[in-house]
Amino acid sequence: MSVSRRDFFKLTASAVSGGLIAAKSLSAAEINQEKYADNYAMLNDCTKCIGCRGCQTACKKSHEGLSHTGNDSRYDMPLDINADNYTVIHLFKETDDKWSFVKKQCLHCNEPSCQSVCPVAAFHKRDDGIVSYDSGKCIGCRYCLVACPFNAPTFEYDSATPKVQKCDFCKDIRIAKGETPVCADVCPRGAIKFGKRGDLLKEAKRRIKNNPDKYNTHIYGEAEIGGTSVLYLAPKDISFADLGYKMYGETPPIELHESIQHGIFKYWIPPVALYGALGLLAYNNMKKHKSNPLSEETDNES
Amino acid sequence: MKVNAEPMKAKLWTKGFTIGVIIIAVGAIFTIVRMAAGIGAVTNLSDGVPWGLWITFDVVTGVALAAGGFTMAALVYIFNGGKYSPLLRPALVTALLGYGVAVIAIVLDVGRWWQIYNPILPSSWQGNSPLFEVSLCVMTYFTVLILEFVPIMAEKYQKKEEGFIAKIVKFLNPLVNKILLFLIILGVVLSTLHQSSLGAVMLIAVDRIHPLWHSPLLPAFFLISAIAIGYPMVVIESTLSARTFNRKPETDLLSKIVKITPYILGLYIALKLFDVVYYGELGLLFSWWGLLFIFENLMIAILPFFLLLKESVRKSQIMLFNISIMMVAGLILNRFNTYLITYSPRPGFDYFPSIGEFVITAMMISIIFVGYKLLANYFPVLPTEQHS
Repeated sequence: MSVSRRDFFKLTASAVSGGLIAAKSLSAAEINQEKYADNYAMLNDCTKCIGCRGCQTACKKSHEGLSHTGNDSRYDMPLDINADNYTVIHLFKETDDKWSFVKKQCLHCNEPSCQSVCPVAAFHKRDDGIVSYDSGKCIGCRYCLVACPFNAPTFEYDSATPKVQKCDFCKDIRIAKGETPVCADVCPRGAIKFGKRGDLLKEAKRRIKNNPDKYNTHIYGEAEIGGTSVLYLAPKDISFADLGYKMYGETPPIELHESIQHGIFKYWIPPVALYGALGLLAYNNMKKHKSNPLSEETDNES
Repeated sequence: MKVNAEPMKAKLWTKGFTIGVIIIAVGAIFTIVRMAAGIGAVTNLSDGVPWGLWITFDVVTGVALAAGGFTMAALVYIFNGGKYSPLLRPALVTALLGYGVAVIAIVLDVGRWWQIYNPILPSSWQGNSPLFEVSLCVMTYFTVLILEFVPIMAEKYQKKEEGFIAKIVKFLNPLVNKILLFLIILGVVLSTLHQSSLGAVMLIAVDRIHPLWHSPLLPAFFLISAIAIGYPMVVIESTLSARTFNRKPETDLLSKIVKITPYILGLYIALKLFDVVYYGELGLLFSWWGLLFIFENLMIAILPFFLLLKESVRKSQIMLFNISIMMVAGLILNRFNTYLITYSPRPGFDYFPSIGEFVITAMMISIIFVGYKLLANYFPVLPTEQHS
């Protein structure tokens, strides 16, 4: 028995140390903002939004397949984004003086968690920055719903042939024709500005600089989890946590599992090495005993 | 190392078996509703809590509890444990049923199940995803388990029976026998990979699950606890099948294989301690969550560690069985804590499993018990009893 004990120990110990090394090699990399400067992006300025929800309605009208009415043909404001509502305007209100609207939607991350965890590559960060979804690949496992730090993907639980739904930046219905996303187009106050990420970051900084009394100095999405394509400006006295957007560090959360995955599967060396080691042990073992408890055929030979 | 096994040929329609079949029939009705009307029709799952009872119990816990298969195979074939081979076939059958149930549960839980084969299409390969690895490994390992069962079936069909399945088995058996060792080792390697990856799946949920359960070491914890539960599961399976078929449990062999368990548990406990101290979570132990964490670890590791070190405990069939049950309860609690209980839903959402989710989970458990009885009844799975 001493052999098996030792070997079990060695095996588990090597697996563990592999995990430790992978975990240690994590480092918060500086975000290369230049890399994403040309990506399509959106600047949502909460100070300008008047909560008319024209963007919500226009989004719903333009995308096919989003249900307009409930079963009883009445339609109410959705409480949050869901499989029939890619975007929703929330009102945060603490007092009569301290309140703000905020637009919820997919933030089209620079390093999307959904893309990294999807087992079938149904999510794809396109070269133009849009995080697209392909139902032809999707198996409906909903790992993306678990993984998204911004609670963006939603799922059609009431369908026998469900899809994941989220803001698609109007990639097919508008971007493909050279138009801007419909929400940015219809906003009467210019609270939603569409453009290139680099330009919009500059624009956001300019607004903060020119109106220091009006704006919270933080630009949400500039650095959060490696940056997002949808950027937010908030009123001065209101935090992003108030608006429902958690504060995150700069490191994309995908780095942890990706480093471990790549550690375990580095050129397939660890599994193949494990296979070889176990194979050697088993081979020696079989040579000694020349029989096989699973099959009678070899038994007869012995 | 020669194994003599025989079909049990026991009375099939006992009370327990009948109840199991009834539960499966009721579950089948819910299965039809789920397929026709969608996941929402039978579950309480939502955007806020996308993974519930099915993923947590039927898949994640089930796969861990099926670890008896690969740990026994490793012991017998790789670590020179030939004398334990009487325990191997029942362990393999349990694993086969456990993975079979996990596969059914996955098909029921994923929304777009008709595309379930997509992970094997190169155009969909996604090496960054722990779930991609899990899906490939589970598919392959399930196939390996079926192939490992072929020689057992062949023994039965060799004698007289003819028929479609018998023909396939007879055709496959010589091939399988040639590559059996290759398959066994492949099964062990695949198991270490996906058992650990099931832990890696929750790494991304760093802001959702409680820090006491989230750790960069999650893959190691899942792998080690799966290995540790392997032999206790063999103890449980052996005890229950002894009762079902009116036999004596293999206490002699069982008390020897669980000698290994404290070493694995020791490693698990050491790593857990390291994790809590290194990541500065000691303070969190003094809370309700901390209490749950301590409770879980007492059951899955600390108590069994001390108990199984004692020879007198290992020699007692009743103690062995009770300790194994406690470890299984601890492991179930650990998987639930990691995947469900400490998971914080999206704002405005809540979750408790629906009746449909409970019924289908009961169906999965029944399939294992009913399936085990059927397989052990008709195929040479359990060792021939030595009458001295």
